[in-house]
This record gives sequence, structure tokens and C-alpha cells, in this order.
Amino acid sequence: MPGQLLDGFIRGLVYVAIALGLTIVFGMLRLVNFAHGAFYAIGAYVGLIVAERYGLAAALLAAPLAVALFAVVFDRVLLRFFYERDGTAQILVTFGVAIVVEESLRLIFGGTTRSFPVPDALSGSLNLGFTQYPTYRLCFAAGIVVIVLLVWLFIERTNYGLIVRAGIRDRTMVQLLGGNVQLASTIVFALGAGVAGLVGAAASPIYSVDPSTGFSFLVPAFVVVVIGGLGSFWGAVLGGLLVGELQSLTTLILPAASDVVIYVAMALVLLVRPSGLLGESEVIRG
Amino acid sequence: MNSSLKPTRGQFIVGGLAASAAVKFASINVIAAPTKTLVVGLNVPQTGPYSDQGADQLRAYRMAILEINAKGGVMGMQIEESVGDDQTKAPVAVENARRMIERDGAVMITGGSSTGTAVAVSGLCQEKKTIFMATLTHGDETTDANCHYHTFRRYNNAHMSAQAMARTMLSKYGTGKWFYITADYNWGHSNFDNITAVVEAKGAKTVANVLTPLTTTDFSSALSQAQAAKPDVLCIIQFGKDMVACVNQAASFGLTKSAKILVPLSDEYMAKGVGDNFDNVVTTAPFYWKYHAGKYPEAKRFVDDFTAKYGVPPSNGAECAYTNMYQWKAGLERSGSLDPAAFIAKMEGYHFTATKGPEYWRTWDHQGINTVLVLEGVPAAERENAFAYAKVLEVHDGESVAITQATTKCKIENS
Repeated sequence: MPGQLLDGFIRGLVYVAIALGLTIVFGMLRLVNFAHGAFYAIGAYVGLIVAERYGLAAALLAAPLAVALFAVVFDRVLLRFFYERDGTAQILVTFGVAIVVEESLRLIFGGTTRSFPVPDALSGSLNLGFTQYPTYRLCFAAGIVVIVLLVWLFIERTNYGLIVRAGIRDRTMVQLLGGNVQLASTIVFALGAGVAGLVGAAASPIYSVDPSTGFSFLVPAFVVVVIGGLGSFWGAVLGGLLVGELQSLTTLILPAASDVVIYVAMALVLLVRPSGLLGESEVIRG
Repeated sequence: MNSSLKPTRGQFIVGGLAASAAVKFASINVIAAPTKTLVVGLNVPQTGPYSDQGADQLRAYRMAILEINAKGGVMGMQIEESVGDDQTKAPVAVENARRMIERDGAVMITGGSSTGTAVAVSGLCQEKKTIFMATLTHGDETTDANCHYHTFRRYNNAHMSAQAMARTMLSKYGTGKWFYITADYNWGHSNFDNITAVVEAKGAKTVANVLTPLTTTDFSSALSQAQAAKPDVLCIIQFGKDMVACVNQAASFGLTKSAKILVPLSDEYMAKGVGDNFDNVVTTAPFYWKYHAGKYPEAKRFVDDFTAKYGVPPSNGAECAYTNMYQWKAGLERSGSLDPAAFIAKMEGYHFTATKGPEYWRTWDHQGINTVLVLEGVPAAERENAFAYAKVLEVHDGESVAITQATTKCKIENS
């Protein structure tokens, strides 16, 4: 049982890391980004290539940078024309990009599932008293906790973070006051993408990588964001951990239901709190 | 509201993407229908999780078609292909097959990526009275509960693999603790039932069977339970990328060292994905290029030609695709007509030798009866190439492991 709780916690952290980018981008840009899973997949493949030649550390550096760069280009070339369009157009364009990315990865790397081995220093498992747990997964979890805190500090404690938060409240007013909302938006977008890319690279020794990887994480991440509250930072954290634990504990009791349970949870949350656990009941828009 | 008729840049881009998506989802090889040709429908996954397997089948089909056409075709007629991407989705596979038959005039459909698509296409072909040479489908149903008069399946089925693997394991692990992580659908259940039926009878104890939904990415909760149970054998009844993920994750939990790992079915692409962690994993396959090329001249010719042409050895799905094309040709020539009923009469009970030694087509369920290999994986570091993934532990005669007429659920039609 304690083993399952730990497992659920770590699984939840992965969802948190991916949902984070989704929720801050939604909060800032009011944009539903279905291409977010593609960022994860690109990060995983960049990580794979770099890790095979230069090791894991280089991969963890290269993947977020490459993905952030991709996100900036994607944002400037395509996405910015859709900021003011309705949600349907945004979903169509981001979903389209996700499909193009998936099939491009398939074309370049083939459909075979790939992975790279965990570095020797981090392989094996640690005896935690109540359970044996793979060392790499524990380091991975610790890393995500650090990333979540850093992203939070960026949003809460820096000037850019201030513009971001103000932009969420009233975009026009911030622009009138001389804040560069456009730049802040791009930075937020790149940040969310970079985190997804980093997690993609770090997670590939655990989950393996194939071109459809992005979609398999995107859907639970969306559920997490909806449960936590669209646009809410700590909502994504709470939602992610909740979904992780729910899945892990369901595997213990009724394994076949472990996929369905998160949608049941989402439906229940939507019935009781339509704006999510930590979401604001009414979105204030400029 | 944008009332202008002139599209904005944004609308243009959406339109472009929608158009390219339309092309992606409906890639169609238009075939003119000249006389003196026979159209065959090659219905394989070109996108989606089994696209590697689909691409490899397509290579083998095309190699066979080129060879056959170069030697004068089938009864003097050249073979033409009509290709469809089934995306491993049953509705797409059925739509493809329908188009191939109705529009392109295909006289035979072949291919497959899963038992789901195979069963769906088999039903359509029965309705259309068109021959279906199923290729990559391992679930029992294709020639058991959902068997059809117009369908032939040569690939080993789950019953055969599970029986063969369990028997090989008995001598060493027959009385140990067995832990199962099973994909929660027909194929997984059928494997579980067959393996436990063999090993439990000899005293093996089933500790637990954790069912996982299809396309699970994280098996850690199941693996934590397995770790706590300290089993002698960990049976991972998963296929495709789920199998790759589960075996790799089992390795990180130390289970590949502490327990014997079993996987009911593998192919070259899955073994490549598992890499070093495939060391000592026991599995089955209907064909293994390295083994068969060393034993049968016809297999050697096929493997050598395929490798020379494409730069990689054929996977077991490719071998089945190649042989299926030749079996269809030979059946037509024996019957001397394009009438499916005449073809089927000449196929049923027919004994032949191709790449695997003697084999035959069973009359009452149209299952191909041929050998099952039980293999043991070798680590990536010890392979001469990425596809040289195993050594052969045992070869089981197909008849000895197949579903029997007494236990079959197949009630085949008369026409």
C-alpha cells in the first residue's frame, strides 16, 4: 500500500509537469493548446538523440531549449493569428499541428518504440524500507518538484511573472500601462513548452518513446487541468497528484478501471465545482 | 463576426491544414482497370502504433508481386496493388477493403495489424464473397469464434503461442510462483487462460493477474505489486509498444534479474525497442529469419533477397505477407479460375512447404498449421544486428499446440 501511494505520487508528478504548461498558457493566452503533447514528444526524441551521443545531462539541457525554440517559431508563425479567434479554430489548428508533428516524427524515426538506458549511477533500485523503488524514478520525481517550484517562483516573484499575472486579469490595461504583453506571452508559451520538452527527455528512459507518445500524455494532462481548474497553477499541481494517486490505487483494487477512473473523477468535479477544484468561478476578461 | 468573403490568413492556414489532414486520412491509390490484370488489396497500417509492422508487410508484398509479375503473373495476368492505410482501426480497415473491392475490383484482400481489424475485414469479405488472406493477426477469434469461409490465416494464434511457451517453461518453472500483467482484452485473456491451463496443471501457482487497459504507458503500479510478490516467473501478456514499455519498466524495478520474464509474442521491431532488456526474455514467434534462413533453402533465398533489397532482414509479419501472396497465387492456379469457391476448395487441406518446412491449411477453420518457435532474447550488445534478437529454445509442431476440433468455437459457412 505505501508502495502504491508513492507510485501514485510519482505518476501524478509527471501529469503535474505536463499540465503546468497547459494551464499557464491557457491562463495567459486563453488558448487551448492541443499541440502541448507534441512538445513532450519532440523533447523525448531530441533527448533520445542527444543522450545516445553525449549522455543524459546534455539531453536534459538540449531538449527544453530545442522545444522552447520550436514553440517560439510555432507561436510567431502560426499561433498568434489565432489568439483572438474562437476556441474551435484554436483547437483545430493546434490539433492539426499535433498530427503533423506526430507523423513527421514517424517519418523521420520510424514507428518503433525506443528508449535509452538509465545511466549506471542511477540504475537499480533503492530500498525505502516499505518498498524497493527504481532510483531513476525517485531522482526524476525530485527533479519535477524542483521544476514546479522554479516555475512558480518565476510567475510569482519576477517582473515578467507580474506582467503575466496582470495580463491574465486585463490584457488591454497592461498594454496601456506599457507592459509588453506580447513578449510575455511568447515567454510563457516557450516556458510551458520547454518544461514539457524537459519532462519528455527525462521520462523517456522510464516510459520509452514512440511518435504517438505526445497524445498519450496530453489527454490525462487535460483532465488534470480541468479537475484543478483551468488556468490555475496550484490547481494543476493538486489535480495531477490526485489523478496519479487515483490511477495507482485503482490499479490495486480494480486494475481494468484505472483508465476510466480519471474521467469519472473529472465528471464528479465538474458536477460539484464546475470551474475545477481551485479554479475561479468567474473569469475576469479585459 | 467576420463578414468578409475574402479569407483571412488564419482561415487560409486552417483550410490548408484541413486539406492536408483530408489527404492524410484518405490516401488513395487510384488504379485504372486495364484488362489482363488482377487487383489485390494491401490493407496495412502505415500510420499509428503498428506502422513499422505495416511498412514491413508492404515491402514483402511488393517483393512477391514484383517476382510473380516478372515470371508472367498469375494465370497470365499481372498483379496490381491497391494500397490502404488501416491505421490499426477496424472501421478504417473495413472502409479501405470496401473501396478496394467495390471501386478497384480487388479479387483478394490481404494484410492486417490486429485481430480487431482482421475480424472486421473478414466479415466484410465474407459478405462480398472475396478472399481474405489475413496476415498479422494473432488473436484466436480470426479462425475461431469469428472464422469465415472466405478467410485464411497462416500466422500462429494466441492459443498456439501460449501452449508452446508454457510447455517449454514447464520443466524449469512448473512449480514456481507466476505473476501475470495482462492486457485487458480478448487477446490478453485468451493468452492468460491458455498459459495457466498448462502450467497450473503441473503445480505452478498463480500469484496474481493484474489487468491493464490497452495503451497503458506506466506499468509501475502493477510492477510494484509484482516486486512485492517476488514471483519466479513474470508473464507480461502485452503486445506492441505496451510490451516494450512494460519490459523496459520491469527492468528498472529489477524484475528482469529477479524473475524469468515471459512475453507471448514478439517480432523484430518490438525486440529492437526492448534492446538490452530483452536478455533472457522467453517469447514465441511464427518465423525468425536467422533460424529459418539457416535451415530452409527457400527461407534463405527470401531472407537474402529481402535484406539485399531493403537493407534489413524481414520481420515475421513480412514473411507471412510474402508467403500469403504466393499461397494465393498457387491456389488460384490449382483451381484454374477466379471463382472464390473453387479457390477455397483447392486451399482446404492443402499441404505445402515454403519457408518453414511442411505445413497445411486446415479445412474446418482455415487456420494455417505450422510450427511455433519458442525463443529466448539476447541483449542488444550481443546481436550481430538490431534484428538478431533471440536464440531458439524449442520448436513446437503446430498440430500439437493448435485449438482442436472438439474445443473450437468456429462454425464455418458453406459458401
